[in-house]
Amino acid sequence: MKVMVFAKATQNTEDGTPPDPEAIQAMHDFNEALIAAGILKDQILGGLLPTQFAKRVHFSGKNRTVIDGPFTETKELVTGFALWEVKSIEEAVEWAKKSPVTTECELDIRPLFTEEDVAAWANLK
Amino acid sequence: MKVMVFVKATPDSEAEAPPTPELLNAMHKYNEALIAAGILKDQVLGGLKPTRYAKRVHFSGKNRTVTDGPFTETKELVAGFWLWDVKSIEEAVEWVKKCPNPMYTDSDIDIRPLYSPETWDPV
Repeated sequence: MKVMVFAKATQNTEDGTPPDPEAIQAMHDFNEALIAAGILKDQILGGLLPTQFAKRVHFSGKNRTVIDGPFTETKELVTGFALWEVKSIEEAVEWAKKSPVTTECELDIRPLFTEEDVAAWANLK
Repeated sequence: MKVMVFVKATPDSEAEAPPTPELLNAMHKYNEALIAAGILKDQVLGGLKPTRYAKRVHFSGKNRTVTDGPFTETKELVAGFWLWDVKSIEEAVEWVKKCPNPMYTDSDIDIRPLYSPETWDPV
């Protein structure tokens, strides 16, 4: 199954505080381990700039309103992502626990809808 | 530049209300247009199941605490994503404006530039 793993924003990430070299090296080693385990095989991952660099498009009826960042609800914002292929969400949790982060933060593990799910929607009437 | 485009969750998406066949078709055509324009060339996109299927790992010192979904702060939750290659964030905004509203209600789509892998400078 595919899961999207979101690193949640913190005040530091929203401030654009760069990680120290040790943290970058530890995360690099962690990603190498994920690749070696076949979990991050497509290497789809990335870090997001603080939301001060972001844009939001609000959809309301026919209207499209563009809003500039920053977005203020830090608690649920995303700062990074990785697309993992795992046997179960429990396997994803076990790998997430091995992340070498040193600051207080959260990782969310979100299963993706499958092609079969989408096909089932298409057949709904 | 690469941008991550997030479709934000709504109460409908958190309730797993399926999209209509018309919306699915409109979104399929929109994705085909993105691919033809070279914006979605790696075809990295997906829809996320409601957060009741999700897990959260909280890191605090040496502790790792696992929390089951659902997550209640619907406003900033993510329901879907695309990874786009665009010339500028303005180009991304123009493309997002062409997207069919993916939700039954008013909704938001966020455009988030990525750090380049070589540097942590905000470029």
